[in-house]
Amino acid sequence: MVSGDPISVMILGAGTGGTSLLELFARSPGVQVVGIADKDHDAPGLKRARELNVPASQDVADLISRSRDGTSLIIDVTGDPAMAGFIAKHNSLGIQVLDGVTARLLWNLVQHEARIQAQLFQAEKLATIGTFTSGIAHDINNPLYLVMSLAEDMLDESEPAVIQDHARDIVQAVRRIAAIVKGLTLYARFSWADDLVEVDLNGALDEALKLARYATVLDEIDVARDYVARPVVRGRPEEILQVCVNIVTNAVQAMNGRGALRLSTRREDGMATATIADTGPGIPQDVLDKIFDPFFTTKEPGKGTGLGLHIAQTIVKKYGGLIAVSSREGRGTTFRLQFPSAG
Amino acid sequence: MVDMFGIPQKNSRGRVLVIDDEADVRKSVTMALTKSGYEVIEAEDGQQAIGMMNSGDNPLAVDVIICDIRMPNVNGIEAVSYFRAQYPSRPVLVLTGFPDIQLATSLMKQGVVDYLVKPIEREKLAAAVESAMKHRSKAA
Repeated sequence: MVSGDPISVMILGAGTGGTSLLELFARSPGVQVVGIADKDHDAPGLKRARELNVPASQDVADLISRSRDGTSLIIDVTGDPAMAGFIAKHNSLGIQVLDGVTARLLWNLVQHEARIQAQLFQAEKLATIGTFTSGIAHDINNPLYLVMSLAEDMLDESEPAVIQDHARDIVQAVRRIAAIVKGLTLYARFSWADDLVEVDLNGALDEALKLARYATVLDEIDVARDYVARPVVRGRPEEILQVCVNIVTNAVQAMNGRGALRLSTRREDGMATATIADTGPGIPQDVLDKIFDPFFTTKEPGKGTGLGLHIAQTIVKKYGGLIAVSSREGRGTTFRLQFPSAG
Repeated sequence: MVDMFGIPQKNSRGRVLVIDDEADVRKSVTMALTKSGYEVIEAEDGQQAIGMMNSGDNPLAVDVIICDIRMPNVNGIEAVSYFRAQYPSRPVLVLTGFPDIQLATSLMKQGVVDYLVKPIEREKLAAAVESAMKHRSKAA
């Protein structure tokens, strides 16, 4: 193998360990997964492999014989003691095998990396909420003000009908506050190992817009929605929402709370697509090349972490999707998020 | 004190224009200030408020303006600068849900009498309006 060539890896075992390896390798530029195998048809790694367009097989012998020419390493995480002998029998080219305790060590490191990444994603979400605080306070303070006024009025009110009316209004106002808090709780929830479920991009965009509106003092954005029915993707709802929040918040902040925002979704060629277009000042060409770099930001201190787009890209790629941007200075910016469709 | 047709109102301590897109807030301010003896007129946004102030050849006789910031059409920042330019003798109070020091400082520099953050207790709002009324006498 020439140094610098990607390492071509075959993964045997598609349970939790094999799936974690697959996830990590799929986003590692120096590693290519040539295939993954597991006896169990419903193994999570096989399903994930199909989503990532990685060959998935239930037959280890068949996978080795088909892919051995292009394979530089076999990683056995089946935990099956008979597997070593079985591989040896079919490994006529003598491809290097990682198994037993070394494979377990690798798996532990991968799990550790996944946890750290989940924590970084969570930290970015919490930092983003930090930039929303004024907006959240604003939206909570309005109904809170009504609650206080009504209660003050009830203190020196003796007419039962008026008191009942006020109490009813208080209940309504508290419900509005509770809805705001619930939206935040959903976004802030920490998850890293939940199962993948179907996530509707229309709902994710709408929820993201509610949160993004907290990011500016002014709220004079003209929103146009152009949605198709059920643009669904498989993923963790919190992660898909995080992607949408990061992109929509950038759009709202770029327009300084004033302009036109166009949100659209499409389903075509097996892909579900969300497009977010703003009428902000646009991104200069020399900046455009760096926007996905970690810690790159053009925002003033306290308005952004420099991680939003990097994390959005990482999540989208993890789900086998694409993120694309086009921008014209003085005209606006359009982001396109494309995921394998689950609908 | 005069009403909108220039007719004196004996029992009113003054007339307050409250500008806020949130019905919750208009209702709260009206309840609080009515209790304290003020007359309250409501506008839903800056545009409507400016229209009311400029209507006819007899501008609405308003003693104090209470203005929100985050509103559609003409927002509070624009409305405040309009009122400061066109009606410099009318004291303007900002009543907002945004606890934002930068914004407060910049508005106070424009001559806003007070920057109040919601929710505000009835007595505090009444006291702020009362103190704003004194500004009016000085300026007018």
